[in-house]
Amino acid sequence: MTEIWVGLFSGIVFGFIIQRIGATDPHRMARAHLMLNPDIPMFMLLTVLFSAWGLWGLVSYGAGKEVILPTSLVATGGAAVIFGIGWGLAGYCPGTTWAAAGEGRMDAVAALLGGLLGTATFAHLHEWLIPRLYDPTNVGQLTLGDWLGTRLAAVLGLTVLFGGGALLIGRIWKEPPNL
Amino acid sequence: MARGSGNRRRNPYWRILPASLALAGVIVFIFATHGPPASSSGFVSLVEGITEQFAPQYVEGKAHYQAIPGPGSWLFAFVVGMAVGGFIAGRTWPRRVADVPRIWKQRFGPSRFWRYLATFIGGFLILFSARLAGGCTLGLFISGSTQLAISGLYFGVVIFAMAMITARLVYGRAGRGKEES
Repeated sequence: MTEIWVGLFSGIVFGFIIQRIGATDPHRMARAHLMLNPDIPMFMLLTVLFSAWGLWGLVSYGAGKEVILPTSLVATGGAAVIFGIGWGLAGYCPGTTWAAAGEGRMDAVAALLGGLLGTATFAHLHEWLIPRLYDPTNVGQLTLGDWLGTRLAAVLGLTVLFGGGALLIGRIWKEPPNL
Repeated sequence: MARGSGNRRRNPYWRILPASLALAGVIVFIFATHGPPASSSGFVSLVEGITEQFAPQYVEGKAHYQAIPGPGSWLFAFVVGMAVGGFIAGRTWPRRVADVPRIWKQRFGPSRFWRYLATFIGGFLILFSARLAGGCTLGLFISGSTQLAISGLYFGVVIFAMAMITARLVYGRAGRGKEES
């Protein structure tokens, strides 16, 4: 029972914060994708950057639970292509549909219903698709740490990558970031 | 970097730095109390719970449902919480929400039908693909990259690139006016 309350609490705070940055507003999401307003992508990159340091601390302390998803060159990449098309078209990703539906956006309710159908369709085809698309090019649970030697080096590498990315977006996107 | 002061007063959104620190705090809390945060899995939990009502044997025989717990789980509680959080945030927000976003209206007119159809299709695509990859923006890009997983970084680069191309094709030059975001 505790896990349900913890999940609910985590979701409430999460949903509240992403609404406050404007990620539940597809108008704002579209303008981020059109390289006009940089707030959402910079927010996402910095969130990952700070989270990676937080998790590094947590893991160093011996706490936290990690699950590294494998990389399948075809399935992960192909899925990302389809996902990007859906995200650019609707302006919603799976998490924001719930928060935006709660906010009262009816187009998010339609996205949520489409999402339920998409989920059911994939679950039905799982046994057929995974051995054909996912397994043949599954290169395993790779992490930056495997490439850079230590976890600390990997977090530093990620900091350079995501910090640099955020700076670049702040410069290239048309409007100034609301730092 | 500073906006004009008049502009700043009109912008009710949180600033990037404090908001990203706050969300990172939540994410680290989730890693400490549960494991990697995810939201597309909550869809699976719900579909599983609904389907179980009339086809329990079908659910038992499907690997995808067997891999993810039903609605009585952290995963489903989390997405319900997201909706509650969105509700609370919406009730305490100075702007009214629109069922058809402004930029969509500028491009395609005010028809709710076409907008709902587009988001239904978009919703289908993002969930179908998230389940294929094993996660979504949160469960694969954010969770994965936080754990320094290559899968998360790879997925993240491609979804951003494709969403940017798609938005350009969908909206053309709409939304470029000097209006507040």
